[in-house]
Amino acid sequence: MSDSTTLDMEAGEKDAPAVREGDPQPGRLRWVVQPALALLAIAACFAYTNTRELTSKQSLLQNDAMLSGGFRHLWLTAVAALLVIAISVPLGVALTRGPLRRHAGVILAFAGFGQAAPAVGLVVLAALYFGVGIWPFIGALTLYGILPVVANVVAGLNGVDQRLVEAGRGMGMSAFAVLRKVELPIAVPVMLTGVRTALVLMCGTAAFGGFVGAGGLGALINTGIKLGEQPLLLVGAVLIASLALLLDWIARVVEVVATPKGL
Amino acid sequence: MNFFEFVQDRWSLLWFQGYQHLSLVVQSLVIATLIAVVVAVLTYRSPLWSGLAEAGAAVGLTIPSFALFGLLIAFITSGVVLSVVALAFYGALPIVRNAVVGLRGVDPGLVESARGMGMNRFAILTRLQLPMAWPIILTGVRVSAQMLMGIAAIAAYASGPGLGSFIFSGLSRIGGANATNSAWAGILGVVVLAIVLDLVLNAVGRLTTSRGIRA
Repeated sequence: MSDSTTLDMEAGEKDAPAVREGDPQPGRLRWVVQPALALLAIAACFAYTNTRELTSKQSLLQNDAMLSGGFRHLWLTAVAALLVIAISVPLGVALTRGPLRRHAGVILAFAGFGQAAPAVGLVVLAALYFGVGIWPFIGALTLYGILPVVANVVAGLNGVDQRLVEAGRGMGMSAFAVLRKVELPIAVPVMLTGVRTALVLMCGTAAFGGFVGAGGLGALINTGIKLGEQPLLLVGAVLIASLALLLDWIARVVEVVATPKGL
Repeated sequence: MNFFEFVQDRWSLLWFQGYQHLSLVVQSLVIATLIAVVVAVLTYRSPLWSGLAEAGAAVGLTIPSFALFGLLIAFITSGVVLSVVALAFYGALPIVRNAVVGLRGVDPGLVESARGMGMNRFAILTRLQLPMAWPIILTGVRVSAQMLMGIAAIAAYASGPGLGSFIFSGLSRIGGANATNSAWAGILGVVVLAIVLDLVLNAVGRLTTSRGIRA
């Protein structure tokens, strides 16, 4: 078992420079400091907006407007994340077996250049082709989040010790059973790192929702720029950044909890 | 007007904005590399400080770029200065980690023998440690470059320079003539520049890697 663990970690580390992510094992301090900082910043925003007189230009800073914007932001990110997982895991599995296996590297390299396309461009294109509104926007978010997850699903599955796969087959398990009971569970930590990267990326990209009528906290920044209202800019930026930090933390917790005990 | 006609028609503007985009990214990247290397040199010997620097970099990367632009607009009025500040900030983050790892990876035996040869700390750093760590630092620079290319597209929204202006003009003319062409031109321009810059950085890596450790 220890063999497979080291292989897994190598797979994760080999990808580290290519994938946008921080230290894989954050210090103990960060488990507490990061969510505390984020919650404190959110609380500070509400304290700030509730202790000052809001002008008519600042109606987005009313409590219910901020709450609904925040929940819309989270909802957009969550729906896109679920879609990303639903698409990426089968795609990653397909890329690690059969005829596609040999071409996986080339396909991912091409997809990597596609990832250089600016996120805001995808959002705008989706609105141009499919109209403004929520679903085209979620489509763009999903497309943007797929690559980091697929790349990590492939890395995770490729990192599984082949001897374990053969042992499973030798025990009479079908190829599908080996995939489900051996390969996928072992690949879970690496896959979840990709999901976390995608979550943070998409939470940031969701800020463009204000451009295409999909709502979310980005509307605060858009309106702030248009009207030259600094409070809107500040609160919008701080809230979005805090949500991203919270999501990152939640995803880290899930990573720890969901890692199979044997690893 | 189809896409190719559009590109032909706007070629000079596209070329100019592309040049501005590249120049913005490259200049920010140089500043980012300098900052990151200085931070790494100052912290890599202490696990506490380098841990803090790396954690700070990881947290920084989770801050959405649009949020940072929004925050900076409140304080900086010049679109160009604002864009450089934001891009240099993001650009430094991936490089810090690689620079720390690279500097730590230098064989202590080599440092010891350099000291034995009478080199002082500065000479050891500039003539031994940084050249040894350079390939790893450069990997971080390349990751940064790809990321900055995309982030720089947002600069146009904060009245900064670059190809983002094509994307945003597509957005503001949804349903109008050439809106789709304009957005595609901006996006493809960014992707092409990202590929070109990556190739250039790859070549720079070959030329600037010390001969002794060149693969």
